[in-house]
Amino acid sequence: MTAHPLVVDFLIPVLKIAAVILYPLVMVIVMIWMERRVVALIQGRLGPNRVGFEGILQPAADAFKLFFKEDIIPRQADRFLFNLSPVLVLVSSLLAFCFIPLGESFRIKGYTLTLWVAESPVGLLLVLGLSSIGVFGIIFGGWASNSKYPLMGALRSVVQILSYEIPLGMTVLTVIFFSRSIDLVAIVNHQKDARIWFGFLLPVSFVVFWISGIAETNRAPFDLPEAESELVAGYHTEYSGMKFAFFYIAEYAHMVLVSSLVVILFFGGWLPPFPNVAALAFLHRIPGFLWYLAKIMFFLYLYVWIRATLPRYRFDALIKLAWKWLIPLSALNLVAVAVLRYVL
Amino acid sequence: MTGLARFLKKFFLVDILRGLLITLRYYFSPKVTIQYPERVRELPPRYKGLLRLHLDAKGEPLCIACLACQRICPTHCFDIAGERVPQRKTLWPVRYDWKLERCTFCGLCVEICPTSAIRFSPEFRMTLLEKDKVRFHYPDMYLEGEELQKHLCGGCLE
Repeated sequence: MTAHPLVVDFLIPVLKIAAVILYPLVMVIVMIWMERRVVALIQGRLGPNRVGFEGILQPAADAFKLFFKEDIIPRQADRFLFNLSPVLVLVSSLLAFCFIPLGESFRIKGYTLTLWVAESPVGLLLVLGLSSIGVFGIIFGGWASNSKYPLMGALRSVVQILSYEIPLGMTVLTVIFFSRSIDLVAIVNHQKDARIWFGFLLPVSFVVFWISGIAETNRAPFDLPEAESELVAGYHTEYSGMKFAFFYIAEYAHMVLVSSLVVILFFGGWLPPFPNVAALAFLHRIPGFLWYLAKIMFFLYLYVWIRATLPRYRFDALIKLAWKWLIPLSALNLVAVAVLRYVL
Repeated sequence: MTGLARFLKKFFLVDILRGLLITLRYYFSPKVTIQYPERVRELPPRYKGLLRLHLDAKGEPLCIACLACQRICPTHCFDIAGERVPQRKTLWPVRYDWKLERCTFCGLCVEICPTSAIRFSPEFRMTLLEKDKVRFHYPDMYLEGEELQKHLCGGCLE
């Protein structure tokens, strides 16, 4: 028995697209709440705990407030680019979620329901490309504001992204050597067949990818483009109201995206842990989506944890870290993994 | 430390991991924030809250309207008058106006008072809804606790 074609061809894709837009937004709310609470707890405070259960609705209340705030465009600003950049930032990070597999596909009444909107044979490239487009939004926003602090933030962002894309790309290559595919679903399936997650096989790649990922998302300790103690708010200084909210949401969505990528590339996506231990076979009963969720929650927590721990890098130290440590290290790692893969 | 050891320490992110452990310990440490309306911090005994007048054991005012506080007050908060009453050697206060909006809580009146009639109370809730209430008149100076709050803002905290 097959489902009605209207359901298969129209309803399910539309619902999936809606879910793919809503899922990052829900994660953003959870993430903002978690960040504020965890940082507060580490600093000996309590954090927002009044709105909703333990303050979980605080981000929603903040978004509601931002929704009604005045939308200010500076007189000297380039209006077109100024309006375009928040959209560009948000759309690029939301769009990349289309290619993120959230769980294994399962069959309902002869129809295979996949937990991803699009499976592309070049999914990894698309995700990396789309997440890099977000940088254009930052650059445009900083440039179009026609103000010194946003411009400084945008310039820093360009240099930072240029530096950290290189180790990011090279570490991704090592994963591709093992999976022999840049299809995200195939990468996860390869980890299932290999019975080992690439993170344990390629620890150097994972650490370099994670450090570069933090730098890509402009998070502490690499949050120089929006260093509030130096640049007011960096590239979004001149933004207010919903446009600011767009930048804010996009930043957190980007964090969710990078966490998802780390989980998929290095920690087996939706796969349960310990596939070899027979005693833990019951772990396979838990749906893959929940495993995926638990894993990305860990990495989102790690983001916050690192932010609460490490002070911001000075700019030359940041560039030095990229060019004198991460790039040589990832190049060596690339060669080593290539040789290893060839020998094996 | 040799160069190699320093290199290895950097390479394995030793200091960063150690820092992460420190913040993790603080994550579980007791918090300093006190959730105010539910829990009120215990105030120190010499806390300088609102000024209050006190009665003696017989229920008569300790204040003898000697105007010592009025004279010493650097911001002229007080306006006091007393009158003679029979069977009493000292004056009986009939007017004792205290202007909260002028008070700097310096405590000179408390120190100078010969009978300890005026003392600081631990009351820190000074929310007012009416401008007139910022002037305390004679009988108001004896109020305390919830009665004082009711006088100040008509129970707006509830």
